[in-house]
Amino acid sequence: MHIPDGFLSPGVWSGLWVVSIAILGFCLRKVKAVLQDKMIPLMGVAAAFIFAVQMLNFPVAGATSGHLLGGVLAAILLGPYGGAIVIAIVLIIQCLIFQDGGLTALGANIFNMSFIGAMGGYLVYHTIRRAVKGDRGILVGASFAAWFSVVATSSICAVELALSGTSPLKIALPAMAGIHVLIGIGETIITVFVIGTVLKMRPDLIYKK
Amino acid sequence: MEHHFLDQYSDRDSLIHRLDPRVKAITFFSLVLFVILTPAASFSAFGFYGALLIILIAFSKVPPIFVVRRSLVIIPFVVIVGLFMPFIKGGRSLGNYSLGAVDFSVTYEGVMLFWNIFIKAMLSCISLTVLTSTTRFVDLLKGFETMHLPKLLIMILSFMYRYIYVFIGELMSMRIAKESRSAGGGKRFHLKAIANMVGVFFIRAYERGERVYLAMCSRGFDGTVRTLNRLKLNARDIYFSFSVIALLITIRCFAK
Repeated sequence: MHIPDGFLSPGVWSGLWVVSIAILGFCLRKVKAVLQDKMIPLMGVAAAFIFAVQMLNFPVAGATSGHLLGGVLAAILLGPYGGAIVIAIVLIIQCLIFQDGGLTALGANIFNMSFIGAMGGYLVYHTIRRAVKGDRGILVGASFAAWFSVVATSSICAVELALSGTSPLKIALPAMAGIHVLIGIGETIITVFVIGTVLKMRPDLIYKK
Repeated sequence: MEHHFLDQYSDRDSLIHRLDPRVKAITFFSLVLFVILTPAASFSAFGFYGALLIILIAFSKVPPIFVVRRSLVIIPFVVIVGLFMPFIKGGRSLGNYSLGAVDFSVTYEGVMLFWNIFIKAMLSCISLTVLTSTTRFVDLLKGFETMHLPKLLIMILSFMYRYIYVFIGELMSMRIAKESRSAGGGKRFHLKAIANMVGVFFIRAYERGERVYLAMCSRGFDGTVRTLNRLKLNARDIYFSFSVIALLITIRCFAK
């Protein structure tokens, strides 16, 4: 979820802004060191792609629907640093253009979705990929990572809301994590299918380290 | 395919539109900051912030109904997170009610918590809407660039901005194609169809990006984007920014 302005206490949002700027700066330096010129337009393409895909809603249980976060997807295709930057950029655009997520809460949203979601998810993917060889490793890794990223992101979000005194942890955490356990299944299915298609058509696009 | 969600009103001409994007960004960001840092109990301060925003909207010639509609985006979050707060939060009781077998009481602290997130989210959202609906996105990026945001970030943002229209158009026509071929069917069937569609869409998007990049290289692209419009601050920008920020400080200090 994109946290709007006013939901977090000054201590929480300003702290997370500082953390996010630091990690984003680190990612930018890493990406600059590794990637060639070619990656700049392609990261723009990837950000626009994630942005467009987030507009597609898929049905979850009952009347609720979720949309793709895309963090793990971006990280598998562009690497953990590139993926984190792309998600951060999508969040900046959503905040400025759609007011989806607040300005003061942008640091927290970047922290949740691009660092916990994309980079944390990539860590899960990377670990599984090492254990399971071949294309199956990529798909199994992608599925667990995608589900993990959604649940972890929403749990962190609940913790931040609780730290700010906006909602008590014992209510917010089970509620947020509970819904996102289901939304995570949608994320997993879409991520795995997209990665499957990419593996079939353009296997060279999967990020290899 | 029309895309009227970006830059819908930013090509109009008004006092607010003509301001320098940097000055405008700083002014509206300060407005958000003032709103966020005002204690929830200063009701009149929020009233004055709201009045200031209404004046700015009137000057900007952006239809007020558009701004209001945009700000409704926060309502689901406010409802999910805040609606139960008056009943859960402990504290001074404002009244006890019973609904059949369930007794509940409304507390002052809970109501204030709800008010706090509601009014702050609403006013911040309106400020950002006014900013982005009176500034062309390209100008905003140019402003950020001269404010020394990382160049890589600005470049990716500007590429993304140029691709968004093409991609959303393509994805929406793919969705219409999918929906006109797949009436009925279960949830799983649709999820699978969406997933395959997204996969094909990614390959298409990526290959388009590669083609465009090669075309750019053959025209001499070396990693920097050069544009002709240069930003210039003039007296009007400074007056605007100072008067709004002075007003904000006055409201914050004197309104209770």
